Amino acid sequence: MPPTLAVRVLEWFIKDELAEEVLGDLDEKFYSTQKVKTTTHAKINYWYQVLNYMRPFAVKNYRSNSNKYIMYKHNIKIAYRHLLKNKGYSFINIFSLTIGIAACMAIFLFIKDETSFDQFHSKKDNIYRLDEVQNFTGTKEQKVALSMPGMGPQMLNDFPEVINYSRYHIQGKRYFSKGEMGLTIDKVFLVDSTFLDVFDFELITGDRATALNEPDNILLTQETALKFFNTYEEATGSTIDMGERSMKIAGILKDVPENSHMQFDALGSITSVTNENPDFNDQWGSNFLNTYLLLEDNVNIAALEAKFDDFLVRHMGEDSNDREVLDYYQLFLQPLTEVHLASSDIEHDYNNYRKFNGSYISTFALVGIFILVIASINFMNLTMARASHRWKEIGVRKAVGSLKGQLFNQFIMESVLFSVFALILAFIINLAFLPFLNDAIGRQLSLGYFIESPLSILVVIIGAILLGFITGLYPALYMTAFNVVSILKGNKTKGNKSYFRSALVVLQFGLALAMIVSTFIVLQQLNFMQNKDVGFTTDKIVLVDLNREANDNFEVMKNELLELASIEGVTASGQRLGNNFHQWGFKVKTDTGIYSMTPSNVFVEHDYLDVYGITVKDGRGFSKDVSTDEGLAYVINEALAEELNLKNPVGTPAAHSWFPDDSLGSIIGVTENFNFNSLHHRVNTLAISVHSDWGYDEMSVKIKGDNVQQAITQIENVWDRHVKEWPFDYTFLDQHFATLYESDSQMSSVVSIITVMAILIACMGLFGLSSIMISRKIKEVGIRKTLGASVSQIVFLLSKNFLTLIIIAFAIVSPITYFVMEGWLQNFSFKIDVNILLFVLGGLISIAIALATISYHTIKASRSNPVDALRYE
Amino acid sequence: MKETRLGEFEEVILLLVGILDKEAYAFKIAEEFEGQTKRSVSIGAVHSTLTRLAEKGFLDSKMGESSAERGGRRKRIYEITASGKRALETSRDFKVSLWNQFPAFAGNKLNFL
Repeated sequence: MPPTLAVRVLEWFIKDELAEEVLGDLDEKFYSTQKVKTTTHAKINYWYQVLNYMRPFAVKNYRSNSNKYIMYKHNIKIAYRHLLKNKGYSFINIFSLTIGIAACMAIFLFIKDETSFDQFHSKKDNIYRLDEVQNFTGTKEQKVALSMPGMGPQMLNDFPEVINYSRYHIQGKRYFSKGEMGLTIDKVFLVDSTFLDVFDFELITGDRATALNEPDNILLTQETALKFFNTYEEATGSTIDMGERSMKIAGILKDVPENSHMQFDALGSITSVTNENPDFNDQWGSNFLNTYLLLEDNVNIAALEAKFDDFLVRHMGEDSNDREVLDYYQLFLQPLTEVHLASSDIEHDYNNYRKFNGSYISTFALVGIFILVIASINFMNLTMARASHRWKEIGVRKAVGSLKGQLFNQFIMESVLFSVFALILAFIINLAFLPFLNDAIGRQLSLGYFIESPLSILVVIIGAILLGFITGLYPALYMTAFNVVSILKGNKTKGNKSYFRSALVVLQFGLALAMIVSTFIVLQQLNFMQNKDVGFTTDKIVLVDLNREANDNFEVMKNELLELASIEGVTASGQRLGNNFHQWGFKVKTDTGIYSMTPSNVFVEHDYLDVYGITVKDGRGFSKDVSTDEGLAYVINEALAEELNLKNPVGTPAAHSWFPDDSLGSIIGVTENFNFNSLHHRVNTLAISVHSDWGYDEMSVKIKGDNVQQAITQIENVWDRHVKEWPFDYTFLDQHFATLYESDSQMSSVVSIITVMAILIACMGLFGLSSIMISRKIKEVGIRKTLGASVSQIVFLLSKNFLTLIIIAFAIVSPITYFVMEGWLQNFSFKIDVNILLFVLGGLISIAIALATISYHTIKASRSNPVDALRYE
Repeated sequence: MKETRLGEFEEVILLLVGILDKEAYAFKIAEEFEGQTKRSVSIGAVHSTLTRLAEKGFLDSKMGESSAERGGRRKRIYEITASGKRALETSRDFKVSLWNQFPAFAGNKLNFL
């Protein structure tokens, strides 16, 4: 039998005259399908056929004589006519709601995107990252994302709660080659064989369980594999050279999702290291990799963390009483799902893609809700204010017998229609503007989220209807409550005191003002950071990656480069400026004995200080002519000199911590404090030394003159002559610095966008309100004009009220904004002072905007002919 | 005047009505369409086209007999009208004239008549 419900649905909508033949045809279809396939198939097909009959030709024309139906049609028609009759107000009304919804939507997508990080791992709730709190003399206490190689394996040994671990060992940029084809691959990591057990990164080919078991096994992502091979199948099982090592491609990983804090191009097996150095799994002291632990269900994290102190003593102390290690290290666990949003206070966090300060999330959510609320109140307010123009309509409806409920329905329906309309417009606006927003904030937000998830689109639609209902509720109650007799008699209702509306103006302009001032401050801070003298030159410096071969030929290359007219200086260093340098031990010998501490360290080539223009204020810089300057001479910064508290630091015996006490070098110079780390951080203590045998990471070439492109070509020529195994790969230092402040400039874009919206909404609200308030005073204006008031007097009179409100807004909002922005500036160690004049400027701007907004109405009112206003009296 | 051109789907349906003759009703036409073109189609889509063709005056219809597998319901049998035939011929002639202007085929005396 055909499904009864489907038959009933069909009978419900199909034209009576078609019912017989259609039901017959579908029956035939049903039985013939049943014969060749299963009954279920036939039933599903029946439903399909029924749904396919929902076509205009077959569907009943719904014509009903029920009053309800006629009234609904009538209400829609009236709503539509009102919309057309007052185009200006309808526009303001719908558009402000549209902006509110659009902003909410964009903010929702943004928050959704940020909170989706690392959520795709099925074991996410049991995965933790092992972090440290380090407390070294000479460096402020810091949380770091790094851990020691021995920690993961030994925790698995020591704690039953830990059921698995994987280390994530950064290899940086590596040179891969396959036959002729050679490329540097940016993000290469070594991981434990358990990596794919702990995390859910998808493997397209290869065996999850064994792929990372063997040394020199490697997994490539799709993108990486396709750079060298035509297909994944071809790549799998082939070998590829990583530097001098031949690696076997054990599988192809699906490209890492955008919302993963770990981003990699290739994963090698860490057994390549542990095979050659079995002690690696019990290696302590230096922190250079990330460790992720997989715990059992329902582990008490605090209790586990409490056991970490003994763990450190057990593995790092001389014996169980040697608890000195705890002065320097503490361990804690960070849930995987918090790594992205709750790591803003964690340093040395190299493998945390698009790290975001999670505290902004709630701020954004708040702003979104706020904008929507204000837009809704605007909507409500305007509807209510327009009520005065509909009194006659209401009165007549009531007189001919409309019930309160019917009137109420009418107004609710109107506002629901408006809000659904606004929702559609909001979608269109987002469709058009999301690409620009994505550009500004470096995200990939997409409305596709709503399409992919039908539930969410349902929620949005229901939300819009609800919004219409709620915003329509008060105006509907307000309008239906009038007494019919007094309306028709022409008595304008009294009351209607506008405290509420005044408060609204204060709120909206307060918000707009706060946003204007915040934008100023954010932009000023950014500008300050971009222009601050960091103590060295960042201009026209090209950074070139160095490998072993390039290091070997460095001196030759340097000399050749220096002969070129376009090159001003060449040097090299172990780390790049703009990040915190690695920290390791440093000691000095004073009268009282050996004093140890842990400053930041960087090893450089002799000319480093000269090329970067770093000022040596005491002593001297490095010189080729002094043989001990290689390895045994230290230039420290002022901060370290202060920390050491020596009367005369230059000449003091000093060295890295692992040097024997009897063969120290000495401090040869003290530099001014320069901002080697980003301006978010204060200048840490720093020791600089020369170690050409350690292998520099990067060559810095300073370019003379304006022809940068030509200079780069020349550098490349020199490079190609001396370096065969590594491609010429360069960036500019100022670009690198720009990326350091990327999230700050994104922040400024967001703030600017919100500012524009806040101003828009406030203006639209004010525009509507002022027109209504002024139209009530039109008679007053008329009388004043007949008595001789001038246009400017009347404009002033009409604007006065609004000005007062804006001044109140200014008084309330300024201190709040001041404190909020002071709080934001605390993120920076180098920051501007908030200038009070900015508030005055912001206030003046909002007054100007407000006056301009209402001027349309005030000027119109004041220039109108008093006869028009007074004639009907 | 009503639109009298034929769309591709309309033309096929019209031809099928002619082929099926006394058995030309929506379900059979849909079956025949699927069998001949290997494209799936819903009865509703066919029915809607039949109605449109009838409005254009290319088809005529009357109620036929009933049968058991239709639950005793009658079916609507369609029939091509004279103007329907004319429309089919016009459409065919137009295409043939196009084919004849196509140099690669015109030489081969490709003929559809």
